Amino acid sequence: MSEETRRLERTPILPLVVIGVLASAIGIAIGLVIDWFPTDASIQAKPIDNLYDLMIILSVPVFVVVTIIVLFSAWKFRMRPGEEQLDGPPIHGNTKLEVVWTAIPALVLVVLCSYTYVVLTDIEEAQANEMRINVTGQQFAWSYEYPQAGGKPVRSTTLYLPKDRPVRFYVKALDVLHDFWVPAFRMKVDAVPGITTRYRVTPTRLGTYPVVCAELCGLGHAVMRSTAKVVTPADFDSWLAEQQAPAGGADTGAGASDGDKGTKAPEIDAKTIFAEGNGTSIACGACHTLADAGTSSQTGPELDKVLKGKDADFIKTSITDPEAEIAEGFQGGIMPKNYADTLSPEELDALVKYLGEVAAK
Amino acid sequence: MVAKFRNPGLYRAGLYTVYAVALAYAIIWVFRTWYSLDPVFKGEAVLELALFLSPLGFLIGLGSFSYWFRWATGKPTIPEDHSGHGAHSWRDYFKVNTDHKVIGIQYVVTSFVFFFIGGLFAMLMRAELAQPGRQFVDSSTFNGLFSVHASLLIFLFIIPVFAGLANYVLPLMIGAPDMAFPRLNALSFWMLPLGGIMMLLSFLAPGGSFASGWTAYAPLAVTAPEGQVFFTIGVQFAGASSIATALNFLVTIITMRAPGMSFFRMPLLVWANFSTSLLVVIATPFIAVSQFMVFFDRALGFNFFEPAGGGDVLMYQHIFWFYSHPAVYIMMLPGFGIVSEILAVKSRKPIFGYRMMAFSLLAIVVLGFTVWAHHMFVSGMQDWIRVPMMVTTAIIAVPTGIKIFSWLATLWRGVLHLDTPMLFALGFLTMFTLGGISGVMLAIIPVTIHVSDTYFIVAHIHYVLFGGSLFTIFAGVYYWFPKMTGRMYDERLGKIHFWSTFVFFNLTFAPMHVIGIQGMPRRVADYAEQWATWNLMITIASFFLGLSALVFAYNMVASWRGGPKAESNPWRALTLEWQVTSPPPIFNFDAIPTVVGGPYEYGVPGAVHGVLKDAEVPTPVGAAAHGESAGTTATKDEEH
Amino acid sequence: MEAAGISASVALEHHDDHDHHGPPPANRSSRVDSELLGMLLFIISEIMVFGAFFTAYFFIRFVAVGHQWFPFDRYELPVAIAGVNTAILLSSSLTLHWAQLSVKNGNRFGLKAGMLLTSLLGLTFLCIQINEYVHIGFAPQENAQATIFYGLTGLHGAHVFIGLTLLVMVTVRAFRGHFSAEHHHGVEVPGIYWHFVDVMWIVVYTTIYIL
Ligand code: HEA
Ligand code: HEA
Ligand code: HEC
Ligand code: CUA
Ligand SMILES: [Cu+2]
Repeated sequence: MSEETRRLERTPILPLVVIGVLASAIGIAIGLVIDWFPTDASIQAKPIDNLYDLMIILSVPVFVVVTIIVLFSAWKFRMRPGEEQLDGPPIHGNTKLEVVWTAIPALVLVVLCSYTYVVLTDIEEAQANEMRINVTGQQFAWSYEYPQAGGKPVRSTTLYLPKDRPVRFYVKALDVLHDFWVPAFRMKVDAVPGITTRYRVTPTRLGTYPVVCAELCGLGHAVMRSTAKVVTPADFDSWLAEQQAPAGGADTGAGASDGDKGTKAPEIDAKTIFAEGNGTSIACGACHTLADAGTSSQTGPELDKVLKGKDADFIKTSITDPEAEIAEGFQGGIMPKNYADTLSPEELDALVKYLGEVAAK
Repeated sequence: MVAKFRNPGLYRAGLYTVYAVALAYAIIWVFRTWYSLDPVFKGEAVLELALFLSPLGFLIGLGSFSYWFRWATGKPTIPEDHSGHGAHSWRDYFKVNTDHKVIGIQYVVTSFVFFFIGGLFAMLMRAELAQPGRQFVDSSTFNGLFSVHASLLIFLFIIPVFAGLANYVLPLMIGAPDMAFPRLNALSFWMLPLGGIMMLLSFLAPGGSFASGWTAYAPLAVTAPEGQVFFTIGVQFAGASSIATALNFLVTIITMRAPGMSFFRMPLLVWANFSTSLLVVIATPFIAVSQFMVFFDRALGFNFFEPAGGGDVLMYQHIFWFYSHPAVYIMMLPGFGIVSEILAVKSRKPIFGYRMMAFSLLAIVVLGFTVWAHHMFVSGMQDWIRVPMMVTTAIIAVPTGIKIFSWLATLWRGVLHLDTPMLFALGFLTMFTLGGISGVMLAIIPVTIHVSDTYFIVAHIHYVLFGGSLFTIFAGVYYWFPKMTGRMYDERLGKIHFWSTFVFFNLTFAPMHVIGIQGMPRRVADYAEQWATWNLMITIASFFLGLSALVFAYNMVASWRGGPKAESNPWRALTLEWQVTSPPPIFNFDAIPTVVGGPYEYGVPGAVHGVLKDAEVPTPVGAAAHGESAGTTATKDEEH
Repeated sequence: MEAAGISASVALEHHDDHDHHGPPPANRSSRVDSELLGMLLFIISEIMVFGAFFTAYFFIRFVAVGHQWFPFDRYELPVAIAGVNTAILLSSSLTLHWAQLSVKNGNRFGLKAGMLLTSLLGLTFLCIQINEYVHIGFAPQENAQATIFYGLTGLHGAHVFIGLTLLVMVTVRAFRGHFSAEHHHGVEVPGIYWHFVDVMWIVVYTTIYIL
């Protein structure tokens, strides 16, 4: 029977190998050409991207081998009419083959793990002249603190980083788990209540990058965003100096806070509370854009716009009881509900007054 | 009517559920009055207690415990008259039944119901994700959707459907008349829908459904609204169910194999369930405890996860993943078993390297317990744990690779019957390899540091769970459909189902790798503009994927009702379940079969796995086939 | 190869000489008794339940920030009383053993007395434990150490309760005339569970109170 003989023939392996090599080559080429990653803006990014390329080179052939054998078998060994009762050859195994396909993957993995170890130590290596930045995550905003030798730390809701200066983030969480991630830097770590986690990054590219919360933290998880600005060291220094300057004083158009100063509560600076928080409260600027305070987040409504023509009562209720009226296009449950506790009544009044005045402009 | 409420059954179960709720109120009332707490009926307290008590009330009402109650008090037990065996009408499927075949079908059908519900939630999720911004659901609902989606598909679908299939075929395969503990078997089944219904009911809870993902990390789960306890408690029932089934499988496999069936003559499906059951028995208690701890922290203000009180947040993740990593193998190993059966039968060749197949399963079981912290590479745990965990994780690829390559070698030079079960098995080989490879990438710490908690993970999840587990489930359901229902499924619809699933599965989940690496985080209802096109495409593909599932549903229902009658052994398989009628007789075998050879001796001239009766049985009905087998039995005997 | 075994119709055919309406008795492929095996596997599961709590203990005692262990501040454990309790529980294992020996030798009095005694000892243990809770002076809500103390001892207490329920069931059945020298399975299997509960207490006692 010709069918029988066809089945008894030795299956030629060589063409299969050629196809396999070709397909792997094409696959690897495509895998390497595709621009998988977001911009790389740190010295940590390159080694990780390279490691990923290595993974592509190693894993495409694995997939190709499996797929080609499946496809080839399905085509070549498929049951043809008349073979309904036919059985294949009773091959039970082949020890040599089994050793080979145990050893090769093992070898591949040894290589991979060793290289990984090198990369890992590389990207986590301590650098000279590291700058410490404290990062705090809370539902649903990030805030940053730059400790200053012998002075009050500088707080911000935007992450400013000088280019080429190694930084080390000390990450904390106030309520639940968050995860501090700047995709452009490739590094991330969870913010864990009770402990401080840390990682290192050295920004290498000027620009503005999103900061993302990557650990489910509740309703506002998706909008828990902020921005990282990598600036030149000179710009960074002047930004820092500006922040350090006695609050309110050096500002130009801060009419409201100046006014406050003059009257009853000189120590309350509403603009700082808005932009940085009072130390306990989450900065409003972590979520709201307000030109006067220099904040630009999009999580909550843009206060410059929505507060036009709103009275003080409305603003006050919006802060102390955000659920009372949900701004259109936004969602309840995200703005913290505890401002009545974290802000003192004086601070609250100052804030309302300040907002009323800036927004009116 | 009164009798209906007095005799075991769904009516009484309903009644007792109500009693249980009343009892919960009463207990809370007594307790809180005693301590003069205010308010006397604290909603949460009542709810939490009721969630524990009402399933128990239901089970008692249903009659799950009737036998044991009599036994425990030393009353004469009702002698087993086997009236509980077999199902004579569809109503019997709604009763406590101790027949493993009935329970198997109850399991499979129930879990597929949860599959469709879970899949529907995925559709809603995809609809929301079609465009950036918020369209259909707010983020509270969205978080609830993916949490319930994953919880249902994992705890109420993949794990139990495997248990169901094995429940049906495993006793048949090893030549046993039933499982070792039939009543426990029935109880394990009935605990399951209770867990599932509880999870679904969470949508009615104030504050919405549980929304902290299927991982339910503390402290979010501790502070989340009441819906969370529906998960916390629902999982206990699903978990208890799977532990009980696993015990049952282990005891059945160890003590009830037919004469001649040594461990190395067991079909690989039996091996797979043996390994899985070991995993379940050892690992599942950990998730039960993790949820109990969350519950105590929530309900009673304990300090397990409260750092201010000296608790440890990361401890939750260690305990959770010590279960949930083995759980991913609980969701995969039975599928390996199914695929081994199908590939051997449909390639008409023995499984290549049978012993290594069995040993690699055991290797995965052992290794599975050593890798849990690969889910915690970015969790902030001690740095030194990472590298050892990476290495062990990578090592798991080796035994898995042995399996994949042995399957490929099984195909080689076989006679491949490319029908629906086989197509799904082949699809599994390629898709699971992809998912496994992305798994290995995730084991590589620096890569994970970037892609953890992104859609890359979502892609991995679905490649291994859909392309892996679900493909094997489809394969298995098609393969055993004739045995379980006595009817043939529609092959043409089956092929349509396979091809549409295969294509749209890839279109849905492959792009997720890309957007994941680009930085789209998982578990978000809203995302940046740059991923809009990809997501729209994914959503459209996923709708077609949903439609393909409907083809399957139609095929199953229509064929069950009106498909052509199935022969006892349409696939010419050797394993014992195919040697009895389709569907099998009520007590499986008239006499326990004798096993005389390996399960996969395809192509070996005259090979026999098992003979149904002693050689001197006089009735040669099936002419040629039987004559031959009797002859070979003799030869085999000579060999011994 | 071809169709192995006998075609299904044969399997269906009932033979009158058998005249059974139930399934054929299963082949016994292991010397281990199935109930015993089931209980042993269940105990493995139970050990893992304790294992999870011990994991929590480990983290709270050694890993968590500001970790410390009893005694600290005003938090002290009544080591001595618990030691007495340990002795009580251990002796219950002995009485249980006596009951089991008795039933094997057909000594019904020994069985009944032994079971009764064991149950009473178990009950005493529980009562002392509850008394300890009442007088210990701190609540699980106060800190994680207290939480894990109550967690582990409470978990164990729950197991004593389950074991006690089993024992009471056995006792009731013993008084109703069940069990004999040949059939004492129902004493054996719950007995193993009780021994397990005992051994677990030794571990809990050592780790919580002594170490
Ligand atoms: C069926 C379920 C299943 C299976 C089988 C697997 C299998 C594997 N998984 Fe997966 N995994 C999940 C389900 C599963 N996973 C889920 C649900 C999550 C997310 C949980 C959540 O956070 O919600 C997850 C997450 C997850 C993570 C955490 C990612 C993170 O959150 O940061 C990691 C990291 O190491 C990982 C790794 C692996 C590995 C290495 C395997 C290996 O077992 C794969 C082995 C297989 C192969 C490798 C293919 C075949 C082998 C060959 C052909 C040999 C040659 C191969 C090589 C040399 C590479 N998985
Ligand atoms: C076995 C497990 C399994 C299965 C089968 C699926 C199936 C699907 N999953 Fe699921 N998924 C998980 C397990 C699974 N998933 C897990 C563990 C997570 C992680 C959750 C977490 O983060 O905690 C997850 C998360 C997850 C996400 C990420 C959510 C997020 O992080 O924000 C998404 C997003 O697209 C998704 C989509 C889908 C889709 C489209 C399907 C489809 O394949 C579904 C196809 C089936 C059907 C559609 C049902 C049949 C059809 C009908 C009922 C009729 C309706 C039909 C139409 C409307 C056309 N899943
Ligand atoms: C974590 C994010 C977040 C923080 C921090 C936050 N807000 Fe909001 N805010 C929102 C969101 C989201 C809304 C829209 C939903 C709503 O109305 O509750 C909102 C709404 C408002 C509104 C009402 C706007 C309207 O048109 O209805 C005001 C006013 C406001 N915020 C002021 C503040 C002030 C002042 C602070 C700081 C003291 C602050 N917010 C802090 C997220 C935040
Ligand atoms: Cu914070 Cu997610
Ligand atoms: Cu894992």
